Amino acid sequence: MAGVIVWIETSEGKIRKVTREAAGAGAKIAAALNAPLCAVLFNGKDLLPELGNLGFSKIYTADGPAFEKYSGEVYAEALAAAGELSGAEVFLTGATALGRDLSASLAARLDAALAIDVTEIIYDAKPLKVVRPVYSGKLLAEVELTSEKKVISLRPNVFPITEKPAASPELVPLSAGTAAIRAEVRKAIKAAEGVMDVAEATIIVSGGRGTGGPAGFKVIEDLAKTLGGAVGASRVAVDEGWIEYSHQVGQTGKVVSPVLYIACGISGSTQHFAGMGTSKFIIAVNTDPDAPIMGKADFAIVGDLFKVVPVLKEELLKVVK
Amino acid sequence: MNVAVILQQVPDTEAVVKPNPAGAGAIIEDGVKFILNPYDEFAVEEALKITEKDGGEVVGVCIGPDRAETAIRMAMAMGMERAILISEPAAVEADIVTQGGILAAALKTLSPRLVLCGREMIDNQNDAAAAVVASRLGIPHVLAASKIEVSGDKAVVVRDIEGGSLEIETSLPAAISCQKGLNEPRYPTLIAIKRAKNKEIKKMTLAELGIAAAAPKSRVTALRLPNARAAGVKITGTPEEVTGKCLAWLSGTAKVI
Repeated sequence: MAGVIVWIETSEGKIRKVTREAAGAGAKIAAALNAPLCAVLFNGKDLLPELGNLGFSKIYTADGPAFEKYSGEVYAEALAAAGELSGAEVFLTGATALGRDLSASLAARLDAALAIDVTEIIYDAKPLKVVRPVYSGKLLAEVELTSEKKVISLRPNVFPITEKPAASPELVPLSAGTAAIRAEVRKAIKAAEGVMDVAEATIIVSGGRGTGGPAGFKVIEDLAKTLGGAVGASRVAVDEGWIEYSHQVGQTGKVVSPVLYIACGISGSTQHFAGMGTSKFIIAVNTDPDAPIMGKADFAIVGDLFKVVPVLKEELLKVVK
Repeated sequence: MNVAVILQQVPDTEAVVKPNPAGAGAIIEDGVKFILNPYDEFAVEEALKITEKDGGEVVGVCIGPDRAETAIRMAMAMGMERAILISEPAAVEADIVTQGGILAAALKTLSPRLVLCGREMIDNQNDAAAAVVASRLGIPHVLAASKIEVSGDKAVVVRDIEGGSLEIETSLPAAISCQKGLNEPRYPTLIAIKRAKNKEIKKMTLAELGIAAAAPKSRVTALRLPNARAAGVKITGTPEEVTGKCLAWLSGTAKVI
């Protein structure tokens, strides 16, 4: 019997958006295989009703202190155990920091095919095929997953969430958690209060050389806050020390796929574009009408970001209210 | 004890890469400059810092065609002492899980106390190498380290995650991938570049590493260019004018507000 297993990743006790996206993709793979869609859930009993709406027919649960903190060793052991019980062929995670860690650990453990940061699945292909960006998004690779077992991490904000009729999935407790933890999480350090990460944000407002310094980023932050979005940055802004590296979008930063990307004072090098080229909509604000980004943005505003962005923020505040 | 670094040669970040119709998964290499994977520089620098403090050598392992030698020489100019290159096509073209097994077999011959690599290989966007290698060697791993403190047979590592970071204590040996921000990679001096030319690069075959040919777990069947983004509207005007138009576009076309 085949099957699909999705790792239910949570953040502050809530199911991550990308996990719900993975449930939707998993349901389609399961349908093509004519096999059940299953989940593995750690310490999350109160999330069960929500999982019932995501199309899972079976949920493997593991509870207790061993699963409280992320451990690639313990989590991969549990997913492998669930895989053995269900005979699952396909394992899905979000391509988050920990999802990437877990998928790599699991693929090595199962000697499986591993596809990282997938943006498209060709559901009816046999064997299963996926598409993933390579060369920093300059090219797309179509990859055939020939091994019987396949581990796939999905890029956030790409796959649609599909709500299913409420159902009561079967619960199966896993006997796992015996793996020795040699790399142990000691402490989780949170970024400053109210700082949203760019990786899963649906709206990102980004600043580049044109912001001129840390003070210039205040304008960017204000607009991001108004839109409920995250603050991004180009490499120049990070290298100049105007903003932390965790905000960098691009080839040597984070790769993002928001619904809306607002690039302020960013020329749009190929390296930057590699990190945000798959955004659904791009707005660019730049004094240079010929900057590369102005030819690729859906909506390009020729103007000074310090004049345009504050007005835009004020007007948006009225709309949002 | 030695610190080993996994090296990868990749096209320069400025390079224009195009699919090569001659082979699935291949790019047109004419006119493309190849460099040491930028993240690998952080790994080499960290390895040098650790061995400068605790003794031992920095050694390297690389899967790549013969041209990958220039990337290894770059690491050697930074201070790496010797390296193993596996250039058989069966290894170069293998999937990333299979390559992890090959790298692990080569690393075993070096018995390092620590294995480092870059956070991601920017060509195939493989960020799993440290995890796969660790699994094959039976050692723990940590990915995307922005801080590594080695003391005795343990290391405390800080790794980035969404919205913060994790402090992880790992036993050694371990495999750790290195993120930007970990250190400032040194620039090799001219003398070091010269000296690097005489350092040993040992070519090893899969047979020598005791690895039998196996069916690939996955294979690239095609490379294609992403759909080019068409230019949209471009407007000028006073801040109030452009804002008005932008809001209309946001609600009308993009439907974001």
